Amino acid sequence: MSDSPRDDERELVDRAKRDPRQFGALYDRHFQQIYRFVYSRVREQTAAEDVTSEIFMKALKAMPRYQDTGRPFAAWLYQIAVNAIADRYRTLRPTSPLEDFHDLSIAGPALEEQAAHRDEIRRIWVLVEALPPQQKMALVLKFQEDMKIEDIAVAMGKTAGAVKLLIHRGVSRLRDEADSLRPAE
Amino acid sequence: MSMQHDPDLDDILQDQELRHVADLLRAAPVAAPPIDDAFRSSLRRQLMNQAWGMGGGVPWWRKAFGPSTFVWATAAVGVILIGVVVVLTANNPSGSLDQVYVTSPISNQSAVRLQQPIQVMFNQPMDHPSTEAAVQITPATTVAFSWHENTLSVTPTAGNLAPNTQYQVTIGPGAKTASGQSLAAPKTITFVTAPPPSPSPSPSPSPSPSPRGVLTGQHLLVSLPEGVTNVQWSPDSSTVYFITGKGALESVPAAGGDATVLVPDGVTSLSVNPAGDHLAYVRKGNIEVLALGTATTVETVPTSTPAIVGWAPAGVQWAAADGVFTVGPNGLVKIAALPNTGTMTPISFSPDGSHMVFTLDQSLQLMDLATAKSIAVGQPGAHFFGWSPDSTGILYSSAQSVVLADVGGRYTSSLPAGDPSWSVQDEILLGSDTALSEVRPDGSGETMLQEGTFHNPAWAPNGTTFTYFRGGALFAASAPAAPPAAAPLDAANSVVSSFMKARKDNDVARATQYLDDKGKKSYSGSLNLLVTGDPSFSRYYVLTQEITGSHPDTVQVVVRIVLSHDNIDISTYEETLTLVRTQGSQQFLIDDASAGPLLTLGKSAEVVSVDVSSGTVKVTFDSDLKPETVVAGVIVLDDKGKQIGGTAVYTSTNRTVTISGLDLKPGKTYKLVVLPTVQDVGGNNIAAEYDLTFVGPADEHGDKHRQESPSPSPPASPTPTP
Repeated sequence: MSDSPRDDERELVDRAKRDPRQFGALYDRHFQQIYRFVYSRVREQTAAEDVTSEIFMKALKAMPRYQDTGRPFAAWLYQIAVNAIADRYRTLRPTSPLEDFHDLSIAGPALEEQAAHRDEIRRIWVLVEALPPQQKMALVLKFQEDMKIEDIAVAMGKTAGAVKLLIHRGVSRLRDEADSLRPAE
Repeated sequence: MSMQHDPDLDDILQDQELRHVADLLRAAPVAAPPIDDAFRSSLRRQLMNQAWGMGGGVPWWRKAFGPSTFVWATAAVGVILIGVVVVLTANNPSGSLDQVYVTSPISNQSAVRLQQPIQVMFNQPMDHPSTEAAVQITPATTVAFSWHENTLSVTPTAGNLAPNTQYQVTIGPGAKTASGQSLAAPKTITFVTAPPPSPSPSPSPSPSPSPRGVLTGQHLLVSLPEGVTNVQWSPDSSTVYFITGKGALESVPAAGGDATVLVPDGVTSLSVNPAGDHLAYVRKGNIEVLALGTATTVETVPTSTPAIVGWAPAGVQWAAADGVFTVGPNGLVKIAALPNTGTMTPISFSPDGSHMVFTLDQSLQLMDLATAKSIAVGQPGAHFFGWSPDSTGILYSSAQSVVLADVGGRYTSSLPAGDPSWSVQDEILLGSDTALSEVRPDGSGETMLQEGTFHNPAWAPNGTTFTYFRGGALFAASAPAAPPAAAPLDAANSVVSSFMKARKDNDVARATQYLDDKGKKSYSGSLNLLVTGDPSFSRYYVLTQEITGSHPDTVQVVVRIVLSHDNIDISTYEETLTLVRTQGSQQFLIDDASAGPLLTLGKSAEVVSVDVSSGTVKVTFDSDLKPETVVAGVIVLDDKGKQIGGTAVYTSTNRTVTISGLDLKPGKTYKLVVLPTVQDVGGNNIAAEYDLTFVGPADEHGDKHRQESPSPSPPASPTPTP
């Protein structure tokens, strides 16, 4: 028995490769996910809209060259997104733009009842923003976007082993940093 | 607490603590971002339009009726239709067209005047209530509406638009025509406003349109068929010395009169000593020093024929092919060796005798006689024009202008082309075939004094009289007192404008010319001179500026750099520039620079201008604010973090918050803080706390020198030559 969502996606991709006007279905399917990811990185609506436009335009133009490697189509979109976000901020000086804009109000109502735990989550995500860019991106894709290692590898243009190393280093560094920042009880 | 199991991480995170961190990372819910459905559908439309253009596997009938083919196929029909529409429109002046068009004369304009309504023009009569209700304006601004035919005027109730602000005025789809038709899509008009007006006019930056004709006492000094060279003034400005074409050394009273022959022949170089009682000159291969009081001459026989002679504190010195020499207690002393390869020609000693200019082949060389080291100045073929009276600067030619540099060879400014002479009052005369002009060493305040031929002007030490050549004869005249020098803020702002313009033009070489050595270091680290990438550097404005020191004049300027994408401001950061007036040229150069964090521009109020005086800080916002949120939301802290000054007062007419009752000490550091509790009239809080660190203004200049962001047109922008 086939994996029907996956087959559905393959069908949509095949159609869009044959006829770019069919790309609309892929757009409808992935817009929200990609926009949310972009917004989480740029933290500003206009910027998120610009980057999202760029991603889908690039994807549309590159559709004829898209090769199905067995990974989800979204992994490929994430790859374009990671590059677009990096391009956007690569040349900006004097400071990395994202550190100041990580949303600390993301804890939901349920977590408000667990102030200490929430605080710990806040701190850990603040520390994520201070990680080296590659480690940070790997952690965001893994823990925020809930992607598989193999898909992150596609998105970041790395091997799965390299992604694992980035995640391990990132998490280890967070553990070390979190210890040093943990408030006295 | 253990979260969901992820087999992906089993072999990566085997340590319990690492898994705990991973659980925490996974536990943060992702906030739902704000999604504009209009954007989502608009992007889809764009993609589909793009897809149509890409074709690919499209049946023939679809291609035939697809956009590109269809355009050609229907072009002729289109022409006919246009004709029909023109006829119909001519017969239907009310313009009841299917499509509603919205335009504005200030759409995509920059430096839009603050005192004007935003005019929105429609191509047909509109339903006023629905159209007014559909108007959205950012930043948050309370507005009033008025109509004239099909034009809607949107006027801020505050009176003026906010300065340095990008406005976006959107007419939403809720707007209806008089016949009840809605807009097909929202239409947004974007523009950027001008800086706030400068409170005091700056000195005119450009040459006076007509000559002032203010030279006085023009008179002939000497006219000889064989010509005159080596014109020199006595230190008391009473006498002019010169060498005739026949080699005679003569003098003439500056006020006019008969010339006196001091040395009958053989003289080729001349220098008056600082006291004015001795003349040194080269005569027939020897150095002679004439004591004017006694008319006695002392002759020195050099080792080779001197080319030029001058005076140093130790006495007379000269340059010859084998070096620079002086006379010591025990005879000749070689001060410095000169190059013995290529063609070396000594040109001039500085007035204090510390430096010398010579040419080596095509290269103009500046030598520090204390170290005997020389550097090339200018491009090959550059000509030496003269020294600053204090010997700290030199003037030389470039292709199209006169260049000023310090005696380290560092460029400081450039002036229009001409024959220059630099006065002790830091005014530079520029003579030419057609006119005589006056300009300050930083290039500002250029003023035409008189039309006519004025070659090789030479200021007298008194700074009011000068000589010049016309038709081979030597004349003298007096120039009026120069207009007041540009105030430090104006002069510094001129440099900042030129510097930022060079950066915006991606011209590193030009931008670098406004940096001193320390300033260059500031931009060699984390700060970049060029701001590249997307969003791109679209504009800048001066947020605040103040005089922070004197002796030398020091000005601190905070420049806000705005980055945009598709003409929409995306983000901004501030650079704090410290400018110091250099000795010699008197031009301000950037001595230090630092940058603040990148700030994303959102939909909440932004600070667009800050005016600091010793007793008051005024903060201008781009949005109309809720006054009740301002009192506790805009504060000034001293260097210990203690709040100082009185209660903030909000003036709605200029969107300005004023904190008075301050006693800011010169040189002390203070911080302006705008807290997120401040709200605009739309109820939006400031996105994040805004901090601006500033220094207590200098005592000497008082409030009169502090001003809000200056006019965008820079006063006297010097044009440096690489």
